Amino acid sequence: MKWITARRRHPLAGYVVVILALALFGVGYAALAPTTDQAQAQTLAADAPSPEDVDVAEGRKIFDQTCATCHNYDGSGMRTEDGRVIGPDLREVGPAAVDFQVSTGRMPSANPDAQMPRKPMAMSEEDLVNLIAYYNAEIREGRSGADIPYDVPDTAPQRDEFSVNRADFDSEEEYHEAVEEAEAEYEAALEEYEAEYEAYIAGAEDTEMGMKLYLTNCAHCHSWSGGGGALTDGRWAPEIRDASPREIYEAMVSGPGAMPMFADTVIEPDEKQELISYVKTLQDEPNAGGVFDLARVGQVAEGFISWTIGLALIIACAIWITAKQRAHD
Amino acid sequence: MSKTTQAPKALRGVGNFIDDRFHLAKTGEKNLRKVFPNHWSFMLGEIALYSFIILLVTGVFLTLWFKPSMAEIVYDGSYERLQGVEMSEAYASTLYIDFDVRGGFLVRQIHHWAALIFVASLVVHMLRVFFTGAFRKPREINWLIGVGIFTIAIVEGLFGYSLPDDLPSGMGVRILQGVIMALPLVGTYISMFLFGGEFPGDVIITRLYMLHILLLPALLLALIVAHFMILWHQKHTQYPGTGKTNKTVVGTPMFPGFAVKAGGFFFFTFAVSAGLAGFVQVNPIHLFGPFTPTSITSGLQPDWYMGFLEGSLRIFPNTFDLSPFGYAIPTAVLVPGLGVMGLLFGGLAVWPFLEAWITGDRRAHNVADRPRNAPVRTALGVAGVTAYGVMWLAGSNDILSETFSIDLYLTTYIFRASIIVGPIIAFIVTKRICLGLQRRDRDTLEHGYESGVIQQLPSGEFIEVHKESSQDTVDALLSKPTITSTVLEEEVDDKGVESPHKRKPMGRLRRALAHWYTKDNVSFEGVEPHSGHHLHHSAEEKESAVH
Repeated sequence: MKWITARRRHPLAGYVVVILALALFGVGYAALAPTTDQAQAQTLAADAPSPEDVDVAEGRKIFDQTCATCHNYDGSGMRTEDGRVIGPDLREVGPAAVDFQVSTGRMPSANPDAQMPRKPMAMSEEDLVNLIAYYNAEIREGRSGADIPYDVPDTAPQRDEFSVNRADFDSEEEYHEAVEEAEAEYEAALEEYEAEYEAYIAGAEDTEMGMKLYLTNCAHCHSWSGGGGALTDGRWAPEIRDASPREIYEAMVSGPGAMPMFADTVIEPDEKQELISYVKTLQDEPNAGGVFDLARVGQVAEGFISWTIGLALIIACAIWITAKQRAHD
Repeated sequence: MSKTTQAPKALRGVGNFIDDRFHLAKTGEKNLRKVFPNHWSFMLGEIALYSFIILLVTGVFLTLWFKPSMAEIVYDGSYERLQGVEMSEAYASTLYIDFDVRGGFLVRQIHHWAALIFVASLVVHMLRVFFTGAFRKPREINWLIGVGIFTIAIVEGLFGYSLPDDLPSGMGVRILQGVIMALPLVGTYISMFLFGGEFPGDVIITRLYMLHILLLPALLLALIVAHFMILWHQKHTQYPGTGKTNKTVVGTPMFPGFAVKAGGFFFFTFAVSAGLAGFVQVNPIHLFGPFTPTSITSGLQPDWYMGFLEGSLRIFPNTFDLSPFGYAIPTAVLVPGLGVMGLLFGGLAVWPFLEAWITGDRRAHNVADRPRNAPVRTALGVAGVTAYGVMWLAGSNDILSETFSIDLYLTTYIFRASIIVGPIIAFIVTKRICLGLQRRDRDTLEHGYESGVIQQLPSGEFIEVHKESSQDTVDALLSKPTITSTVLEEEVDDKGVESPHKRKPMGRLRRALAHWYTKDNVSFEGVEPHSGHHLHHSAEEKESAVH
């Protein structure tokens, strides 16, 4: 400290301060500047699982354990004696609805009376595949409801889906080999997924169509940014930024909760692709002005900032420049 | 200070040249020595002035490229995401400012932040003037001008928000149109006239543009100049203290002391606006997309200064809607949309005259009140701020509901209850606090201030040593006026005849108001500064001093 104090009036001190400040801002900007391609961890688009890969019996077990309490063993739903619905009838909802509810973690639900928020999925991908196979084979009535749009990319493959267990191997060497193999598999799967995701998003060309569809049909609940919003009766429209393209698609064709259904006959699959592409592209858009996007909440947040930061700073300055030593207090 | 030195020759030459022709030396000297009081709360109006200058400068920059046209074109500018989208020229040219004009985006953001700060500073400035009673004679006209500036600033902001023709601006204009349409008889005509036909038509942007960049700024500028000239002539009020009377002003001379401070303050205001613009996103019109009449989104509000109107619209029940003879009178829009606005601005405009009528006070006041010394006025002000705040919060009820996971309907009921209960509680609490502070002032005056030094007396008792307050503090405390009303004094005239006004309804109302306005007051009568036993407390004396 003494060293600085002694030199603060040095003729070059001013230049040093300016250079330091420039360096600080330069480095700071480089660190904070938004990068255009923030990698998205999303998921693998797969084809419909082939019949030999699925285990319907396993699916039945999962259904009976986790779903039947409310939806009944045959999926016909349950009511209390006075007619209140405990679990709705599942026979006509279609596999897209099942996939949507389970993969977004909303089902199995802890409280059937309350709207469920998005959560990590409660079961493994494999369990879900089996569950859906069982649903299709035993519960679904004919071909009612919407099918799962397998050609739309889902969530990205996760590293832990490719993990290997040390106990399965005899030697350390074999284990290491397997780990490397799994890592390579994961990398490949991720790459494949990303390519598919890119292709799906880029496959939409008519921005205007996607924008009009979204702003006309979706934004009045989910808001222009996909940030969600409040609904009547204590419900809310969830934010859709975390949703994968397939989940958005499934939500449209199955109409979960208070959301209306937008069947493929109403908004055609390629229009849905435009819409999803619009949402995802908007989401990836960098924010103006840099660091603080205010979560795209908009005017309420801006007003708050203008008072608490803007005006407060200026008034603090006013207090500073008019301050004087008072006699005592 | 240093000895007087002559100005450099070049400067003297220029000075003499000007003075020989315009004889400015005398006026100049007088005005350069104009005294500005030293208190931060006198700088609040300046924030408004400086942000207005920033708005003018950035606004001029923006007009160089903005095209106020609603002609539909297909966008092919450099913002890739919206290429091929049909939009109005107004929106396209705003995108052009954002993405093709160097620094355009920054300037647009500065313009928006400065606007938000402009209106906010008007509000705090106005509150300062209200709470210190600086609107009283001789400053009522300047207060009215201030109310005018505030009103026009809000409208100006609304129109500016509407210009880019993006999604929120279109929705804002739609609400404006809804409120206009709610006017009985003339509403539909005004709407058709303003929009040149049905909403949205193809002229509204052009018209709002003219209002936003020409008419309203000109009015604002004229009013601000008038405001400033009157201020210059009447001089500032000042807070009570040593040597501060209704006839003298104490402070820093305009030149050089105050000019340096004010200049620095301007740059600080600019720096904050520019800093916010550089780091915080505001109104990202390129993300919203263009407005079409079929598009609508949740979670969108007007800028903050319209928030209280939005809120009153949201919480006002529609049970009072009338339709006599099949002609709809939508009170649920009319009352909260226009009634509340009328109440706010009307109330503000009328208050100085109402207060003078209640107190019968015709004197000129140049020493400001300390808010605690006018408890009813202060309490009323806080009640008003509370009502405004509740409506303001209600305007963002969907955001609050979502952010804090509260049932949307519940927020409506909470706001409906608090718009009635809140101001009443605020009034009572504030008035009590004011009276409590008055008591404390009396205590300080009598006993000096608490020094923080604890002393043990020979008897074993601990006391806190009080010290004498400074002369300035004593003078400030002693200056407390007693709130009185001439209305209450006019009981009987010198011949013992009761005033005839006393029996008329207006007279009775006036007397009732005067009684309500003046009844609570902590009397300082007979209080001698430092007459308390501040240096030799004993147990009995302390008890007698407390009561």
